[in-house]
Amino acid sequence: MNICVLLKQVPDQGSVFTIDSDETWVQEDNLVFTTNESDNYALEEALLMKASKGGEVVVCTLGPDRASQTLKDALAKGADRALFLRDDAFDRLDSLGAARAFAAALRDDSFDLILCGLQADDTGEGQLGPMLAEQLSLPHVTLVVQTELLDGCIKIKQELEGGWFRHLEADLPALLTIQSGINKPRYASLKGIMAMKRKEIKQVSAADLSLTTGDLTPHQILKRLYVPAKTKETQFLEGSPDEVVAQLVEKLANEAKVL
Amino acid sequence: MIDGAAVHVPALFYIFAGLALFYFLYNFRRAFAARIGRPETRRIRPWEVITNALYYGVAQRKVTSRHFGYASLMHLLLAWGFMELLFATSVDFLVERGLFLELLPRKDTPWFAALNELGGLALLLGSLLALARRHTSARPAALPHNSFAGRGSLLGDSGILIVLILLVVGGFLAESARLSIEAPAAAWASFVAYAVSLTLSSQTWQSLQPWLWWSHAALALGLIALLPQTKLFHSIIGIVNVALTNRAEHGMLRPMNIAAHMENPDAAPDDLVLGVGQVEDFTTKQLLDAEACTECARCTSVCPAHAVGSPLSPMKIVLAMRHNLYAQTMGDRVAAPLIGELISTEELWACTTCRACMEECPVIIDHIPAIIDMRRFLVLSEGQPPRDAATSLEKTTQQGNPWGFPRDNRLKWALDAGLDVPVMADKREVDVLYWVGCAGAYDPRNQEVARAMVAIFQAANVDFAVLGTEERCTGDSARRMGEEYVYETLANQNIATLANYRFNRIVTTCPHCLQTLGRDYRQLGTTWQVTHHSDYIQELIDQGRLVLDGQLTGTVTYHDACYLGRHNGIYESPRNVVARTLGPEGKLVEMPLSRSQSFCCGAGGGNMWYEVSKGERINLNRFDQAVATGAQTVVTACSFCMIMMDDARKVRGEEERVQVKDIAELIADSLA
Repeated sequence: MNICVLLKQVPDQGSVFTIDSDETWVQEDNLVFTTNESDNYALEEALLMKASKGGEVVVCTLGPDRASQTLKDALAKGADRALFLRDDAFDRLDSLGAARAFAAALRDDSFDLILCGLQADDTGEGQLGPMLAEQLSLPHVTLVVQTELLDGCIKIKQELEGGWFRHLEADLPALLTIQSGINKPRYASLKGIMAMKRKEIKQVSAADLSLTTGDLTPHQILKRLYVPAKTKETQFLEGSPDEVVAQLVEKLANEAKVL
Repeated sequence: MIDGAAVHVPALFYIFAGLALFYFLYNFRRAFAARIGRPETRRIRPWEVITNALYYGVAQRKVTSRHFGYASLMHLLLAWGFMELLFATSVDFLVERGLFLELLPRKDTPWFAALNELGGLALLLGSLLALARRHTSARPAALPHNSFAGRGSLLGDSGILIVLILLVVGGFLAESARLSIEAPAAAWASFVAYAVSLTLSSQTWQSLQPWLWWSHAALALGLIALLPQTKLFHSIIGIVNVALTNRAEHGMLRPMNIAAHMENPDAAPDDLVLGVGQVEDFTTKQLLDAEACTECARCTSVCPAHAVGSPLSPMKIVLAMRHNLYAQTMGDRVAAPLIGELISTEELWACTTCRACMEECPVIIDHIPAIIDMRRFLVLSEGQPPRDAATSLEKTTQQGNPWGFPRDNRLKWALDAGLDVPVMADKREVDVLYWVGCAGAYDPRNQEVARAMVAIFQAANVDFAVLGTEERCTGDSARRMGEEYVYETLANQNIATLANYRFNRIVTTCPHCLQTLGRDYRQLGTTWQVTHHSDYIQELIDQGRLVLDGQLTGTVTYHDACYLGRHNGIYESPRNVVARTLGPEGKLVEMPLSRSQSFCCGAGGGNMWYEVSKGERINLNRFDQAVATGAQTVVTACSFCMIMMDDARKVRGEEERVQVKDIAELIADSLA
């Protein structure tokens, strides 16, 4: 059972965010970075599968130099080796560009399963997994909350809206995007951290993957990043209690849209 | 008391004595079981060995405890009676052999005879008190009890007492016979035996004498032969253990030098011993601790985690260590795995490292380091801290505080309040570096304490500054959760930061920071003077630098923080400081469990960051104790205690009636 887990390094949610002067991203100098939350669950799921079925867990990320820490953390928790897509040409890719880069890097490895987190905590798109699956012509399931490996296939419980679930079965190889909470991610032991230092982090560039500028040109441009203005509005409802209640229900349903 | 002068001691006795001694030595080999441990790094100083043996062994200073009055008296009688009779027997033996005759008293030297009678009476009374304690409803719940066998000791708990009673009674009877037959001039000095001797005729004593003498001799020799297998073994191993204690390092966690391992390119992670996963990973002294345990259950009786119904019993942990040690070395039992079977992880994580157990232990067992060493194994080797603990450790690594608040917001407590607090990066050199700590920086309640502290510094014109965003968690919780790597990393960061600045001392409002900065970091080579704000405020008051107009009314009680009191010995300054804030209508009252017997708030040892313990929450129990004094103000001098007491106040619905205040707030309120 060979599994690849895609990881993304994102700013820690406890950071203080300041919008950059060109209003397209946040200032990164003082940010604390960490591994994307749902990616941790994807990694744990892979490590649990490896523990029961054997094989290899490969972790892969794309990002600036600092992102290697995310690979190191994963190696310390028990991943076997790492693949680091590192190239200035990879800066500010959109999801499609990233999917093309990962596809180029993973196409020749015969993974039985590719796992990623449901969505990244910074951009929150949730696009990469499905796009990569399409690039590699793999079946994919998003929002996975439970897995069970069988011979040549995998049983999956998928979360739907409104508290509904769906049970699916996918042939392997496949790609799954993992929902937070599916397991209990482990803590990196010191032994793991020491063992990590002897594990391989293979760095690959756009040229190594034969990617052209065309492959990586963003099709989606972030126009402006801003903090939503908080507004406060007070309305006084008047009339008898029954009338006020009727007005309130109407406003909650149509204006506030919370009912 | 082998009182054999009437008949010359027969040769047969020496044959039996030789056999008894041989069997004693054969069984005494268990004392060396501790050798399978790792070499001890704590230094043993010869002078300290002697003073320890005299102070804790002979003088029994750790046996006497306010908590255990009956047991203290009982054991003093037992121990001093036992020691006196050992002394008497040794003197008799030497006199028999004709040695040191000019120095030694004779059997019928009046003071010696009377002293020996007192020794016998003390041992008899002590044994009876001990039997009564075990066989009446007064028996403490935590006290393990097997009347005649069990837990690997021959004769059990009551059996050995009965043997002692028979030994004393037999000794008195043999002495009575001797007095009756020899009729020495000063027979009256052996007041008990003399009185008994008058009850029978001289002829009767004459005929009983050989029986009495031999039965007493046989019992005494039998006891010597079997002693290492009985509970009385503690009288030897306990004294050896207290003698070999390094008092300065008692309770300190042993450094691990993880940085050295990390930098060593040849280090094989799988061969490294990280913490204690098996009994032989303990040091020899830690194993000797386990051997010395007398099963008196004082530790468990005062354990706050145990009191609220968690699975932790410090004594059970120590006994599990010994069980596993003897199983491996003496081969008398199958060695069950130490962690997971003999000791559950729930027990290990329930410990708040409050040191109540160590405070009461008569044989100076080092419970906390043993527990933390096993946590180190769980965390560093197995990667298995409790889930919430892992989260807080990861946040500490990322943001430098266990809550995971933004590290850039570390000075927000001052900025938001419009306080002009100087930072070291600007000042470079100050008299006092105020260590705010994570709680002072981020917890709303402790932010108020930090602001009160600034008011005090300003009122006293202290040249001070804070580190601001450069400050990181000191790593107290990480270290006590067994995460020595995170602790060392934080410590080295803080040490490097402080190396850039000059200051005369560090003042902190948190006893946990006091412990790490002031004592733990010294293992990494620091020499700073670190002062808790209770001591510092007291100094300011003594120097007349604070003008106070205390008007605090109502009943006030002070809760001793474990890391201020038991760990750092500071009991009086916070009380003195509180006293200075009281108005004519205010009075300071003590909880029954105060000073060195204080009851933990429940947050220490990392317990602030996870919850594993079943049963009632410790902070509620302690808050109830505080309220039971009638106090309207509960005073703390610790960031964690503040959070726990304030939380309990809300849970108990006492927000209207009771306030929780730090000593710094009381002083700030009292500034004239």
